[in-house]
Amino acid sequence: MKTRPLTLRRYVLALAGWALLWLAVSAAAVVLGAENIWAWDSWEKTRDVLILRLYTVLTAGVVGASLALAGLALQALLRNPLAEPYVLGVSGGAGLGVILSSLYLTAIAAPVFGFVGALVTVAVVYAVAQRRGRLEPYTLLLTGVIINAFYGAAIMLVTALTSPERRGEIAYWMMGTISTFDPRWSLVAVVGGLALGAAVLFAFLAKGFNLVAVGEDTAGALGVPVERLRLATFVTASLVTGASVALAGPIGFVGLICPHLLRMVLGPDHRRLVPAVACFGASLLVAADLVTRLLEGVGGVAPPVGVLTAMTGGPFFIYLLRTRWRRKTEIR
Amino acid sequence: MKHTTLYVVLALAAGLAAGLAAGCRESPSPEEADGPEYAPKRMRILSLAPNVTEILFALGLGSRIVGRSNYCDFPEEAKTIPAVGDTIHLNLEKIVSLEPTVAFVVTKRADVVKTLQSLGIRTVALESDTMNELLKAIETIGHETGRPAPAQTLIDDIQDDLDTVRRRVEGRPRPKVLFAFPMAVGSSNMMVAGRGTFVDELLSVAGGENAFPEAADWPTITPQRVIELAPEVVIVNAVGEDAAPDRVEAIGRAWMNWASIPAVANSRVYILQDEFLTIPGPGVGMAADRLSRVIHRPGPGETDFAEERDRP
Repeated sequence: MKTRPLTLRRYVLALAGWALLWLAVSAAAVVLGAENIWAWDSWEKTRDVLILRLYTVLTAGVVGASLALAGLALQALLRNPLAEPYVLGVSGGAGLGVILSSLYLTAIAAPVFGFVGALVTVAVVYAVAQRRGRLEPYTLLLTGVIINAFYGAAIMLVTALTSPERRGEIAYWMMGTISTFDPRWSLVAVVGGLALGAAVLFAFLAKGFNLVAVGEDTAGALGVPVERLRLATFVTASLVTGASVALAGPIGFVGLICPHLLRMVLGPDHRRLVPAVACFGASLLVAADLVTRLLEGVGGVAPPVGVLTAMTGGPFFIYLLRTRWRRKTEIR
Repeated sequence: MKHTTLYVVLALAAGLAAGLAAGCRESPSPEEADGPEYAPKRMRILSLAPNVTEILFALGLGSRIVGRSNYCDFPEEAKTIPAVGDTIHLNLEKIVSLEPTVAFVVTKRADVVKTLQSLGIRTVALESDTMNELLKAIETIGHETGRPAPAQTLIDDIQDDLDTVRRRVEGRPRPKVLFAFPMAVGSSNMMVAGRGTFVDELLSVAGGENAFPEAADWPTITPQRVIELAPEVVIVNAVGEDAAPDRVEAIGRAWMNWASIPAVANSRVYILQDEFLTIPGPGVGMAADRLSRVIHRPGPGETDFAEERDRP
């Protein structure tokens, strides 16, 4: 793809543009919802709902940004266009950690256990899928499938052992949902801070990502500390995935859809992709959550947002598998 | 890279926004009074549990209910009230639009109560796992809605009903009764009433003894355990989808396999379809009456569960 050289001015302008998109989608998602709050006679009521919506929109934003960034970084480092926290089982590992923590320990520690679950999963997936330092694309995905199946079974076991009331809650939570019950503003702030930290770090590492995408040996020869880059990326991606799963459950395919759509628009340069993916991921999830709330207003039932992303992301995954990836592997 | 400064600025802005938002939330709603001081005429009730809805209707407050849970479908009039979800997912925007002044919930989830309260709705968390809790819940509802006298009448009526049943079964032998829900499709395990549940109390009022000896809510047990418990009477409550004729047939056939169970050997397995048996509401007297009539039938071998099924 032909692109003009990246100057600071263009960088800032692009970033402002993407941020503006996020802002616009968020504003729309605060204005619209299940009920037409603007026709209400009392401002107090409208204000109450506005605060609920603001919470939802901020949560969806930070979770979407986190997952999209994690997806982009994992795709770069694993050199696999289909890598994504949900597909690789990283979200599942985080989910198991969060469930175990909230059932048997404390809900406050859930993000920490989410992070541990995510990190362990990344380490296991990487260790299993690599052969003498080389990552086989298919092996990687199959490892993700198996790991997901394992976590699925473990979560079912935990679910079976708990009370029927909790069982329903866990099942609903596992679908990936942004709950406005007991808003946890401070957790949103923490997850937002982590996402921002990840974005900054990945912006620094973007050149490294570009070189690793060409080949790890090449990158190493050009002075990229590949091992350290890998470690930093895996830990950061696990951190943001674990934190966002603690906040909203495992929401799939945001980390797959966003980087791919943006690569089609912006090309493969990670320096452009990192800020764009963060803002676009946030916008996408905010929009998806808005759709669930609008559906609730029309039909009375709100599909969990994770169901929505999985139902659109699944076909997109297959599309990528059938077209873009095949082309890429043929070139190699 | 110079871009980092920009990110840092953004970070600070985001942090500030989050902090401000968190600050806004801390101030408690001024509407939060500590007693039911509003005029009852303006009372608008949100009922988030089926038994609470029944109690409210029994107290003559049905017309004051502005919102209900998805599961509140009795009495029939309740179905016309807007549904707002359940304790796993509530449509909070809808709830705010209905302007309830008081909400009744039966849940142990503190976050549900907290969220409703933060919306300026006086929220009362009730418990109804035991008979005492149920009577207490009725009293609380009466107090909160400014109707203590009708509530007391309802409590007295329930206790009278229960006493009537108690007197009728007095002196009769108390068989070991297992109260179970049908096994799920594809499984032979079933949920049974444990000691301490209000169904356990109903069995005792109705002149039976719970065959499940342990204090537990609604444990799921295996057929082996059922055989080991050797109940003399089995009451299976097939409601909802399980009430379909082919399901009832299938449940009956499954039980017939376990002939070593006294209840099976003596044809004392009853498959009922009475939703009210497990709802801790105004219908508990009726439930005790129903159970007593099932438990104290004419001698063994004279009844077949297939006949019982068609009785009202």
